[in-house]
Amino acid sequence: MRFKTDLKNVKTFSKLTAALSSLEKVAWMRLDDDTVRFTVIPDQGSQVWASLSMDHIFDSYQLQSAEPHNTINLELPLGPLHRALKSADDKNCTSASLRLTKKNNVPLLSMTITTTTTSSSGPAYSRFAGRGGGSGLARDNLGGAGPFDDDDGEFPVEPLETDLNREREKIITQDIPVRVLHPEHVETIMQPKVREPDVHIQLPPLLSLKAISDRFTKLAVAARTGSSSSAAAGANASSAAASSYSPKLEISANMHGSLRLALTADSLDVASQWDGLENPELDPGQLNCPLEDHPSTRFREGGPGRWATVRVDGRDWSRVLSVGRLEGRVIACFADEHALILYVYVPQYDDVSAEDSVVTYYVSSYSM
Amino acid sequence: MPLLKFTLSEEGVSALREALACLNKFSEEVSLEATKDKLVFTALNSSKSAYACFSFTTNRFFSRYQFEGAAQNRSKFFFVAPPNVTQALLSLFRARSGDPFHEHEKDTTIERCDVAVEDEAGKNSRFIVKIICRNGMTTKYRLPFEVSPPTHAKFNKVEATNKWTMASRTLRQLMDHFGPGIEFLDIHSEDDQTVNFTCFTEKVAQGDGELFCPRFPAASLRIFLQEVLKKPLHTSIAIERDEFEAFEVAEENLHIVISVKDFRAITQHAAPLSSGITAVYSTASRPMQLSYEGDGLKCEFLLMTVGGERGDSGQKAKKARANAKGPRPNQLEAATSRATSRALTPAQDATPAGRSSTRPDPVPSLRPPVTRLSQRPPPPTFEDDSLFVPQDNDNQWDPVNLNEDEEEENARLEWNASAPQTSTTPNMRSVIAQQTASHGGFAGDGPDQTPAPSDFEPTQRISQVRKYGLFGD
Repeated sequence: MRFKTDLKNVKTFSKLTAALSSLEKVAWMRLDDDTVRFTVIPDQGSQVWASLSMDHIFDSYQLQSAEPHNTINLELPLGPLHRALKSADDKNCTSASLRLTKKNNVPLLSMTITTTTTSSSGPAYSRFAGRGGGSGLARDNLGGAGPFDDDDGEFPVEPLETDLNREREKIITQDIPVRVLHPEHVETIMQPKVREPDVHIQLPPLLSLKAISDRFTKLAVAARTGSSSSAAAGANASSAAASSYSPKLEISANMHGSLRLALTADSLDVASQWDGLENPELDPGQLNCPLEDHPSTRFREGGPGRWATVRVDGRDWSRVLSVGRLEGRVIACFADEHALILYVYVPQYDDVSAEDSVVTYYVSSYSM
Repeated sequence: MPLLKFTLSEEGVSALREALACLNKFSEEVSLEATKDKLVFTALNSSKSAYACFSFTTNRFFSRYQFEGAAQNRSKFFFVAPPNVTQALLSLFRARSGDPFHEHEKDTTIERCDVAVEDEAGKNSRFIVKIICRNGMTTKYRLPFEVSPPTHAKFNKVEATNKWTMASRTLRQLMDHFGPGIEFLDIHSEDDQTVNFTCFTEKVAQGDGELFCPRFPAASLRIFLQEVLKKPLHTSIAIERDEFEAFEVAEENLHIVISVKDFRAITQHAAPLSSGITAVYSTASRPMQLSYEGDGLKCEFLLMTVGGERGDSGQKAKKARANAKGPRPNQLEAATSRATSRALTPAQDATPAGRSSTRPDPVPSLRPPVTRLSQRPPPPTFEDDSLFVPQDNDNQWDPVNLNEDEEEENARLEWNASAPQTSTTPNMRSVIAQQTASHGGFAGDGPDQTPAPSDFEPTQRISQVRKYGLFGD
């Protein structure tokens, strides 16, 4: 079993890791000849299946295993991986590589990062200046030959200028403990199957969606603690309630470009609506049924009043929206009163022709 | 008559604040020692494994400095600022010193700060801080302190034959690569070319049932999840020797292990001064001295190094630790000068046991026998994270935090939920009006009429600050 690669698009890799680690501490990483897949399945909350082409984040990779397509299954902790990628995602970093190895019989993903530090050449310079001054003095003492005599065969020795400003390289090794998973163990883990969605819509910028969602979640907590604080006064009671209680947000969309986020609490109702969003056209070639029979067609015909609605957990939804840092286009697929799936298309900046990688979020949803 | 008076310029305030912030990472209790030409701040951590000392040259650092001395001792005066006073000073200086992120608050930046120290018989010992802001506002604080001799840690320079110097900014950048939750830094040179900085931890992540439940069907994964999460990121950095301004380490393969938390505190303070940090040390389980200089400021730290070779694996050490129950942490040696002050407080008893008055040679009993890895500084707290400067500002993507108290920073699309409950009072003017009503007149020239919440006298008259338009007509 062999895996060795240089890293590229480290920023994308790092942001993906950060987004995943907000949901879960460990991920299942599956490598094969074409794709690298990260899967995160928390006990509670949304699960993520991120599938990237190997070329997206790896460069000149070597992959070899006894499994078909040279498949390697690893499980790795996301926190350490993210921390390691931070070292590689630095303007001073000149190269970064990743390799599967063993140390003391512990399997590791060992990341080797070559970096420079912006050196303050001040002290180094003064050292050399001192030496230069010394040689000048010696020359003066020689005296006799005269200052204009160029044939004495003696030349003042000066330091090489480039050496002073050279940025010295450092090699950083970040060892991430992993576990190699047996193929039998992972073949039972299946990507969820969801029925054809009723509504698909491109989400507004996730930063604003997240800000408003978070606001709603906080409002719900505040409304709850506000109403209960008369009975059980005290900061401890309210903060305990805040940590255990997580409000449900209602998310709806129609096939006419509208998305609605609503919160219904004991003492307040609040909703925000985005209009003029895009409902992307479906590719009939990709569908199992004729486009006319697709549920989204019925929802489109139902008019702007025909909403597909799901309920999500406020905290979990906030973790899901953390994927916004990847700056990808996000298509939300609603199965009314059933499921919500987000497809995040991660652009590949260095190769525009390449197909975008897709991060799929199966958002956990609740019924009334 | 104050026995010590000094004035800090705006730069002086921020330099002192940085020093206090650094000291505070070692101990909440800070000792001061004043002489004619030096004002020395020291802190010793509770496990006595780390000691910090900031020495301000009075004629360079302070815009004005006047030392009278106490009646008992004309040459020296020392006292201890208790934790709450250190905190108070920090927040005073932090709140109002120049901060590029609060351009609009420029007027309220501190222009200068006058400090007076009083310790007269029959009166309380007081540390009086008068802050003069750019807009002319003056605030005055009286803080208590205890007269108590400081504890200095001793360092034997003669035995410390190993020495290196490195630019503080470079060191700081190196430390940024180490993850959180890391306890120890191992410095060692294997050959003539490179020096290795390796971080490791002995801390084992607790098997939190809620967090470590199996996600995947295979039962063995449960064990894995616990194991893999126990092992933190292992980071090592190979540095060319040329990177050091000087590297004179006699012993090859010498492993020197220090606490990351302490070392980070030092590099964080030193980096903006962009001077070289010099490390001087002898061998494992003996103290390491780190020193650097700023403008009118000398900083010196002693860190106890962790004993023992950290060989191929930590397993040997783990076994050793299991056998040796409850090891004593290594401690620095203390050297305390005897107090001659008027008020010898009980705090003196709290200074380290075995404090030898001025005994010249080291106290052997203070030095435990050469130790294994297990004898180490206390594990750093999780406040480690506070030492980090976020590299990129993407915490807007962090999951929602429902504990409002902890996130005053995230001001996006929010209003201040922590505003006082009395926020129905619309503005300052109405507050004043209410006070005027309830106290029968708010005459600017009658300071004794103003309601004082405590015994503090007003520092300025209303008529003096009326021109700033704070109080209307």
